[in-house]
Amino acid sequence: MKNGILKIGDQELGSRLFLGTGKFSSTQAMLDAVKASGAELVTVALRRFNREQAEDDLYGPLSELENVRLMPNTSGAMNAKEAIRAALLGRELSKSPIVKLEIHPNPHHLLPDPIETYEAAIELVKQDFLVLPYIPADPVLAKRLEDVGCAAVMPLGAAIGSGKGLSTAEMIKIIIRDSNVPVVVDAGLRSPSEAACAMEMGCDAVLVNSAIAAAENPSAMGAAFKTGVEAGRAARLAGLMPTSEVAVATSPLTSFLKQVGSDRSD
Amino acid sequence: MKLTVNGEPHEHQGNGSIDALLEELGANKAHTALMVNGEMVPSNDWDATTLKENDAVEMLVFVGGG
Repeated sequence: MKNGILKIGDQELGSRLFLGTGKFSSTQAMLDAVKASGAELVTVALRRFNREQAEDDLYGPLSELENVRLMPNTSGAMNAKEAIRAALLGRELSKSPIVKLEIHPNPHHLLPDPIETYEAAIELVKQDFLVLPYIPADPVLAKRLEDVGCAAVMPLGAAIGSGKGLSTAEMIKIIIRDSNVPVVVDAGLRSPSEAACAMEMGCDAVLVNSAIAAAENPSAMGAAFKTGVEAGRAARLAGLMPTSEVAVATSPLTSFLKQVGSDRSD
Repeated sequence: MKLTVNGEPHEHQGNGSIDALLEELGANKAHTALMVNGEMVPSNDWDATTLKENDAVEMLVFVGGG
């Protein structure tokens, strides 16, 4: 796989950093961060039209960005039926088959409902969506979703918006090892080093929102995540050295410094 | 015509077409997805759709989300 190009279904992406558009202080701050991050795939949510908050409508501003595709999410869906409805509505607007399938009925932890997600995925694949499901870091579920035709799987690193990083790293490693579709770490990342770490582990991409939107300088943080993702990917391709339980010297340990007649016994 | 739009009662003054309702509410046609009585109405079908008394319309737009 080339460093630059990521294939999800028939879609080719030059950036392995996906960006969420929520929580930004303004539309302009969001647009600046998207540009700085180099992201080519950005998530959006659906909400009721509100005449008094017409500036919240992101369709116009996002469509002016070059080389950026929209990935509507199914946020707010409590079950498979609602998620399918949201996906259909999103596709009406995005004119793209890509959907981020997310069903997390409990607002306290926002953890995905695996059963409803699985059922919705089956139906959405039948309806020709490219389904990217947000899932718990469960290798068995990830495999089942791949088997029913999902275009990628997106295990969480930690709870949405928590900034707790790659708390599920060991499970994600198993998912990566077993997966034949791209693996995208979605949710929980706080710092570019964590994004780099995910890419070094072999993730195909990361999806970041809060870490950039809630940074003091979102645009600069978008650029930092871009660098982190690229460094991690490059490191993965370069091949990390094996680890060792004991020290392995990098300099020759010859004894030429030993003084003649010294009573030291090293 | 009495409608429910995004959960609120709305007295529609136009001819009951989707276009008339969107214009009345100041919504951008190209930025809006629509459901009538819980069913999505694709924009291709808008011209052939006439709203009826007591229809429940949901108008949805893209906003920020992760």
